[in-house]
Amino acid sequence: MPRSADQRSADRTLPYRPLRLLGGAVLALAIAALIVTLFWSITAATTGAPTSSADVGYLIYISSLQASLSTALSLMVGVALAWSLNRLRFPGRGLVIGLFASAIVTPGLVIAFGLLSVWGRSGWLGGLGLPVFGLGGVVAAHIILDGAFAARILLARLDAIPEMRLKTGQSLALDPWTRFAIIDWPALRGTLPGLAAIIFLLAFTSFPIVLLLGGGPSVQTLEVAIYAAVRLDFDLSLAVELALIQIAVCATIIIASSVLAPISSSLDRPTEPRWRDGQATQMLQWLILGVAILGFASPLIAVLLDGIVGLSDVLVQRSFWNAVLTSVGVGAASSVLALILALAIAAARAATVSRAARTILGAPAYAYLAVPAVALSLGAFLFVRNLGIAPDLAAPVVVIIANALLSLPFAMATLAPPFEAIARSRGKLIRSLGLSGTRQFLDVEWPLIARDAGLVLALGFCFSLGDLGVIALFGTQDFVTLPLLMSRALGAYRTHDAATIAALMLVLTIAAFVALPPLFERLSRARS
Amino acid sequence: MYRLALAFAALLALALPAAAEEKPTLTIYTYDSFAAEWGPGPGLKSGFEATCNCTVDYVAAEDAISALRRVQLEGPATKADLVVGLDNFTAGEARATGLFVPHGVDTSGLALPWTDPDFLPFDYGYFAYVYDKTKTPNPPTSFEALIALPPSFKIVIMDPRSSTPGLGNVVWIKAAYGDRAAEIWAGLKPHILTMTRGWSEGYGLFLKGEADMALSYSTSPAYHAIAENDDKYGAALFTEGQIAQIEVSGILKSSPHQDLARQFLAYLSSAAGQKVIPTTNWMFPVVNLGADLPGAFGAPPAKILPVDEASVTANSKAWIEEALAAIR
Repeated sequence: MPRSADQRSADRTLPYRPLRLLGGAVLALAIAALIVTLFWSITAATTGAPTSSADVGYLIYISSLQASLSTALSLMVGVALAWSLNRLRFPGRGLVIGLFASAIVTPGLVIAFGLLSVWGRSGWLGGLGLPVFGLGGVVAAHIILDGAFAARILLARLDAIPEMRLKTGQSLALDPWTRFAIIDWPALRGTLPGLAAIIFLLAFTSFPIVLLLGGGPSVQTLEVAIYAAVRLDFDLSLAVELALIQIAVCATIIIASSVLAPISSSLDRPTEPRWRDGQATQMLQWLILGVAILGFASPLIAVLLDGIVGLSDVLVQRSFWNAVLTSVGVGAASSVLALILALAIAAARAATVSRAARTILGAPAYAYLAVPAVALSLGAFLFVRNLGIAPDLAAPVVVIIANALLSLPFAMATLAPPFEAIARSRGKLIRSLGLSGTRQFLDVEWPLIARDAGLVLALGFCFSLGDLGVIALFGTQDFVTLPLLMSRALGAYRTHDAATIAALMLVLTIAAFVALPPLFERLSRARS
Repeated sequence: MYRLALAFAALLALALPAAAEEKPTLTIYTYDSFAAEWGPGPGLKSGFEATCNCTVDYVAAEDAISALRRVQLEGPATKADLVVGLDNFTAGEARATGLFVPHGVDTSGLALPWTDPDFLPFDYGYFAYVYDKTKTPNPPTSFEALIALPPSFKIVIMDPRSSTPGLGNVVWIKAAYGDRAAEIWAGLKPHILTMTRGWSEGYGLFLKGEADMALSYSTSPAYHAIAENDDKYGAALFTEGQIAQIEVSGILKSSPHQDLARQFLAYLSSAAGQKVIPTTNWMFPVVNLGADLPGAFGAPPAKILPVDEASVTANSKAWIEEALAAIR
């Protein structure tokens, strides 16, 4: 069916949902307003013009090059891997998928050190002499973080292809390539631009990995210059200027991806595959999976193994268990907040076909990735102070909101395509039955997206274990999360403790990814 | 979760008038690893609270510079009475903010030639490249000897814009070589494995075996010897001389508890307070502790290069640019 016809018919079949549009618009505006407020807080504290400078042209060039490479390669790897995982069934598949998904939420430094455990000079495969430092190393680390995540998100789309379509395809005896081109690709392409934007932004603003593996000042990011402007020069005007440049670059990417994103095709619940590809193709799929497990899982396994040495020390520390409680509390609160925001915004986006409206609703969700962490931290600190609240008391609230915003783009990338697919494929039915918005959600949407909602919760939960940039200035004596405890240990020679905390965080993360999506799916089935 | 609940409750409680406090609270802004449970913070807190009839409260920022930036942002309204953990490279900038008052503590008992009316030293160490004796039996003895080694001999340094040792390294090379600094940096370029954001990642790379030497402190081997019972690490002392990082504290002009802050600094620089430092902050104490200084610390390096605070404050930006340009 030609797309234009598809779209025109969609216009007329979409249920009319003014409340959803209004709710989504209010939330999107609130996020945008929050970011503007934070910037305004910094600008209000600046005095005069920048007193220092930075080589912005070079930084943009090198960051864009690195981010483009990271994005293109991550997506290719992601599509190949999702394709293989969708076809293959084997014991432990759930665990492998959980492992892949967990990479992106693991602190970048942990992944980088895991990578070195395998490929570094003293690593398991160090004898091969692969160049881990320099542009190649940075891009490789980003592919491990983001490519596996892309595979996880894309796999969800492939698993949701309606069984009817597969049966038709099978009866036509499509060859593997045609099957990919006419059945898989339409299911994937709605997700690709959003994913590409996320990965590009992550790589563009990546900071510790770039410095750790970059091999010197020739591979850098704009974020480093912004950090230096605040920390070293205390030149807030320059920091704001650089931050605005970064936001401008990122906004271009976000808007382009929003405009490019086609409407997703329909979706269904995952079913047991009865249609296997031919033997040669299966061999290729096993090969891709094998290489991916070697490439992606080995650094993570290295992290787990490295953590064993310090286990007995860490498990008896009171501070460790306090940090676990704090992290789990923050993770639970911010993942629920992220899920609610994403559901509201995705539902609003699905209720309109206007590209402009969809872009305006969707763009603020990416804000957190575009705004430099140090600017957020500074802005949040000044804002909280201007309100007259003691920063250390506000820290938990700020961290919860910040972490919810951090996982929002990922939540949107996961939930927006299925919401749109439902509106397009079942809108007519919903209208003809005269379902209310609430019934539409409870009876039609929720059962179909529950599994994805579980994935979003897992993502949000784990991201909150990983990000602390925003409270760098807050003075967090009693508010210690696992990543902060890890960096404290690392900063005090206690490398074994740090390795163990990293490993336990990874275990927690993988557990969340393995358990939450199926749990939610089961819950939704019990309801309906 | 209960911590969160507590925090929320505390947020609410803010709206109510504060209950009258019986004891004064001394609020100290410092860096993370100073206040951490294995750092010197807890020991100093309990030691001082035993005599002061007060409560010591640490507010820990990412690093001392961030603590200073926070005080600058807060201005006279800051809750901080003291900033602990600035150093001889940042003291000039801290002084220029005009937020600090002279500490007024008697420094005659200090075993350190460096004194300052505004900032009181509490420990010090020397930047040095740390190596593994089992892998590098003959470490380089100077920057020039390091440059002469084959390019496969790798070092890890830290970004001078984000890390104190990183900045120290730039000042060190400038102090030792003056106008030849750029040439030395260019010579180091093939040896630089990478330039990390902070000390912890860089030193971690070295411990992982990715590099032959890492920029750290001359006292780092003492940590491994004492805490891990591992004698294999050494600090390569360079014939150009080492430069010292002297960690200092300052009292804020806006503090209502300046006398209490002064008492804390006097305690911090007394033998009782100093005893806490070596095996928690892994730096040299500023008074002579005699037998209380573990033997693994050894003697300070023989040759020390002087650091001129005013010229660091005035030129560090240009020196950083020069170093980065030479290795880009």
